Amino acid sequence: MTESLFYFLASLTLLCALMVVISRNPVHSVLFLIITFFTISGHYILLNAQFLAAVNIIVYAGAIMVLFLFVIMFLNMNKDSESRVKTSTLSKFAGTIAGGLLFVIMVAAVKDTTIAGYNADTFTSQTGMVETLGAVLFTQYLLPFELASVLFLVAMVGAVMLGKKEAGEQHF
Amino acid sequence: MTSIILLSIFGIINLFVGFMKSKRILLPLSLLFLAVVFGANLFSWNEAQSYFNHMLTIDNYAVAFTGIMVLATLLLLPFSQHYIEEANENLAEFYSLLLFSLVGAIMMVSYENMLMLFIGIEILSIAMYVLAGSDKRRLRSNEAALKYFLMGAFFTGVLLFGIVLIYGATGSFYLTDIAATAAVNDGTVNAMFTLGLLLLVIGISFKISAAPFHFWAPDVYEGTPTLFTSYMSTVVKIAGVAAFYKLMAAAFAASYAAWFPTLIAITVLTLVVGNIGAVVQTNFKRMLAYSSVSHAGYLLMALVAFNERSDASILFYSLSYALATIVAFAVLQYVSEQRNGDETYAAFNGLGKTNPLLAFAMTVAMCSLSGIPLTAGFFGKLFVFTAVVQDARLMWLVVVAVLMAAVGIYYYFKVVIAMYMQPAADAAKIRIGSFASFMLIFITVFTILLGIAPALVSDLL
Amino acid sequence: MNFILSSLIFTPLLAALVVLLLPVRRQKAIKAVTLLGTLVQMVLAILLYFRFDGSAFANGQQGYQFVEKLHWIGFSLGTLGRFQIDYFVGVDGISISMVLLTGIIGVIGVISSWTITKNVKGYFLLYLLLLTSVTGCFLALDFFLFYLFFEFMLLPMYFLIGLWGGPKREYAAIKFFIYTLVGSLFILIVMIGLYTSVIDPQATAVQLGLIGAGGTAAPNAILQVQQMLQQNMVSSADMVRTFSIPAMMEPANFIPGSLLHVLSGVELWYLPIRFIAFLLLFAGFAIKVPSVPVHTWLPDAHVEAPTPVSVLLAAILLKVGGYGLIRIVYPIFPDAGAYFSILVGGLGVLSIIYGALNALAMNDLKKLVAYSSVSHMGFVLLGLASLTTEGVNGAVYMMFSHGIISAMLFLVVGVIYDRAHDRAIQNFRGLAKVMPAYTTFVIIAFFASLGLPGFSGFISELLVLLGGFSAPEATGMLPRWLTVVAVFGLLLSAAYYLWALQRMFFGKYWIFPELRAKATITDLNFREYLMLAPLAVLALLFGILPNLLLDKISVAVTGMTQLTLQNGQEQLELVLSSLIR
Repeated sequence: MTESLFYFLASLTLLCALMVVISRNPVHSVLFLIITFFTISGHYILLNAQFLAAVNIIVYAGAIMVLFLFVIMFLNMNKDSESRVKTSTLSKFAGTIAGGLLFVIMVAAVKDTTIAGYNADTFTSQTGMVETLGAVLFTQYLLPFELASVLFLVAMVGAVMLGKKEAGEQHF
Repeated sequence: MTSIILLSIFGIINLFVGFMKSKRILLPLSLLFLAVVFGANLFSWNEAQSYFNHMLTIDNYAVAFTGIMVLATLLLLPFSQHYIEEANENLAEFYSLLLFSLVGAIMMVSYENMLMLFIGIEILSIAMYVLAGSDKRRLRSNEAALKYFLMGAFFTGVLLFGIVLIYGATGSFYLTDIAATAAVNDGTVNAMFTLGLLLLVIGISFKISAAPFHFWAPDVYEGTPTLFTSYMSTVVKIAGVAAFYKLMAAAFAASYAAWFPTLIAITVLTLVVGNIGAVVQTNFKRMLAYSSVSHAGYLLMALVAFNERSDASILFYSLSYALATIVAFAVLQYVSEQRNGDETYAAFNGLGKTNPLLAFAMTVAMCSLSGIPLTAGFFGKLFVFTAVVQDARLMWLVVVAVLMAAVGIYYYFKVVIAMYMQPAADAAKIRIGSFASFMLIFITVFTILLGIAPALVSDLL
Repeated sequence: MNFILSSLIFTPLLAALVVLLLPVRRQKAIKAVTLLGTLVQMVLAILLYFRFDGSAFANGQQGYQFVEKLHWIGFSLGTLGRFQIDYFVGVDGISISMVLLTGIIGVIGVISSWTITKNVKGYFLLYLLLLTSVTGCFLALDFFLFYLFFEFMLLPMYFLIGLWGGPKREYAAIKFFIYTLVGSLFILIVMIGLYTSVIDPQATAVQLGLIGAGGTAAPNAILQVQQMLQQNMVSSADMVRTFSIPAMMEPANFIPGSLLHVLSGVELWYLPIRFIAFLLLFAGFAIKVPSVPVHTWLPDAHVEAPTPVSVLLAAILLKVGGYGLIRIVYPIFPDAGAYFSILVGGLGVLSIIYGALNALAMNDLKKLVAYSSVSHMGFVLLGLASLTTEGVNGAVYMMFSHGIISAMLFLVVGVIYDRAHDRAIQNFRGLAKVMPAYTTFVIIAFFASLGLPGFSGFISELLVLLGGFSAPEATGMLPRWLTVVAVFGLLLSAAYYLWALQRMFFGKYWIFPELRAKATITDLNFREYLMLAPLAVLALLFGILPNLLLDKISVAVTGMTQLTLQNGQEQLELVLSSLIR
């Protein structure tokens, strides 16, 4: 049951992620991306990590994607404005070959690797729960956790600075 | 650790000071902060200690590189004077972002855990994305920020992917654990490990603008306001190379055979592309962008050599390169401001007559970058080359590098020719603040001093 | 300790510092300080010349006189041994002649520069820096120190040509710069390669505890270290690698299995790596000499450079190339030197003939003199390639004599250029009528240069040709026809000098009409006598009494030649045998 669910979710994730890139309409892309996030959250639930699943939906699907939609709607991007960008056939070819090669290497790497399965004796089902996560975050990973706040502060300061109106500013 | 905490606090203080009407106090205050951090950093010398479950280790390597990066920031800040004069309202933000990004840079030279490396790189990069686009009145600056951000985000993804694959193969983010796992498995645990390693190499190569992942550098460097370009090509690059070496030495020393072919290809390509690319430029700033690519190549040579001299060579080279680059960008900034934003070689015409100090400082900087004796740059190159030839099989790499150094002299001296041998288009003297000119003299003297007594720095590590 | 060599090197630097501190307006004072500085240097050089003991032969670590050795940069490389650069200067028979030349030409150059008006302070500052670096080059016994001075020499010269030169000065300056720089980078590569291959036996002995720190050179200990080294008994951590040229000259100091050891067996492009190293070094110095086909920077540089800079360039700077070949290239790679003697000698003869033919075709008097320099420096290569005592002595003598004579030639060209602002041969006729004193000096300079007996040029050419002709029997180096061809160079040089003399100075007085307005043709003034007369006297003195110089140089040169020859034959066999294996 779980296994078939996993394969279903995984294929859905890949399909939607592919559609994000392929679809011509940016709004469709965003919607596909939201589905992708949902399916990833599904994976988290399968791994017994409910907290992460919830956070993933709230933060990514909820906040960030809505912001994305807003921006795209404000910019009024439609098919006309998108078609201005032309990629040459040569670069398409090069991109396909390079990407395909990377794909082949990845597949080969995964095939070549035997990944150790979980050990039923030492496995605790509580690993993904919020208590364990919190404990790890505030003990072992305290420093990166705190320093991430500097990262966010930088991003915030930057966003405010770039967002402010300034006399004589130019845009594309 | 002290420097990380101090810089975070000082950055916030700077933001609050920005609320005051007069912005004049910001520069001296920031310089004071940096001086305090520089001093505090030195207290950890010879007192290696690891913090917070071995997330960070402040050893002599970290202290030395932190010192150089803080020093570089300290030296380039005085050239932000024109922001003060035009009463830029974002001044406090600029200074705080620089201080915050130094936090990231310090994390990159002292990390023991891949997570720390990642967060460090991100702090540094996000601050740079913002600063690249800080001149909103110029379209170029917008372009630079956008390009840098998109490319940077993509390669951050590559880096993260690499880290994840390594985690998958070894089950740890800790450098020591990775090294231990690699050591018992002949350096290559499995194909996933190797793939992760290569993705890591690619991710960091982008950050230090090594070819073929350098393509963003010229446009971004050109568009970014000169002060921040200077920061980008010194502190960001030094942090990147130092992080690279630390990663290879601490985690992947046993995997030498796996990354050596890739890295040597990147190195040679970087040397050739950087130097040949710089020759055809007519814009001085773009030339400096390519030159910074080529210097990444020389720094990578020391990494490729991978012996006991590598870290000390990287350290000395970083310092000499930073000193010269800061001067080059500072002079460029003064000149292009006076010539209405002209950044071509022609803008420097006759500078030797009108502004002897600027011209002399620039000449010494160019000599140092091209590796003329009695400047720091010469010993930088010499140390790197001697580190490489310890392995006789790599002699050809030195030959390539030396030929590329000869190419380098051609384009570095173009500006010297323009300064001394072309008639001045505009005879007006450029006004430089007394503090800024003191700094120029200081850096020039320091460059020559290191060219006579390199042992001051070369013996540190 | 004796500080005479350091004083020689740093006197101009001291004067440069004083000049730097003087205000720009005090032009008289700047010139006076420069003159004083060069005079002191010349007096020191002459003093050194008289106190130098010509009968002592320098071999290996010993025998250099007035040696000063100070540790400069040194640090441990862990298991890779120690990195060490010394401030190591000393003088032997080969360098003494060059130092003397530098001292004399330095003063003459200042006198000739007296009329410079454009940016006087900068000019004399660079002039003094140039003198410091050239003197340093001639005295350095540490390869690194030598390279430092060699490379630093470029900068002042580049600016002297580029700022005070003629109309095409930028092109000439950057051409000079790039050519010489590429050469010096070749030298750098080999220098680094040598550094990884050579140890300092004495310092290694200290490291091994065979002699106490600061102990004097103990021949036994050094011998022991060298034997241990060749038997692979010295661990890598104990090796003190060195840039010392005397240490590099001894095959016993090469680390077995290292890149440039005779038995390394490493091949590159079907040649042993030592041969490649020799060719790189040779190319580096041949550019400076300059030898055909890498001579093309020289005429451009000379034509654009102001007179005093041309004087320095021809009289001293070119000598660094020849000096490098004699001091560094041949003693360190005697095997390759023997193997490639035909190449070196051939290029020498090619330079002689090609330079002379070019000179014959030139209409610009300065270009003629410049090509005659190429031609005469070819004799240095030929003499060196013969590896006979006469030939190498002749080469050193040629460098000295060419220094004196070419300085005079360029000064003579400068005199006419100062007056007419032109130096095309066809624009003047019958100058002897209006400038008799000047014509006398021109004749002296021309005849000295074409090798008239009684002048120093004759002695050197004679010695080189003697060496060349005896080489097939004595050393088996050069085929005889090569030297025969070289003799034709003498004929050609007589032709171009005499033809120029006839066209410009004899006949009825006439100058090109367009020049008449600007030109004021007067005879020599006091300053010009002051710079030309001493050179004429020296050219005569060293032509009549060659022993003045040969006494000082011949022992050293003979020793070096024999050692090179002997080591060369032995090592050549080893190198070739290591390849077959």
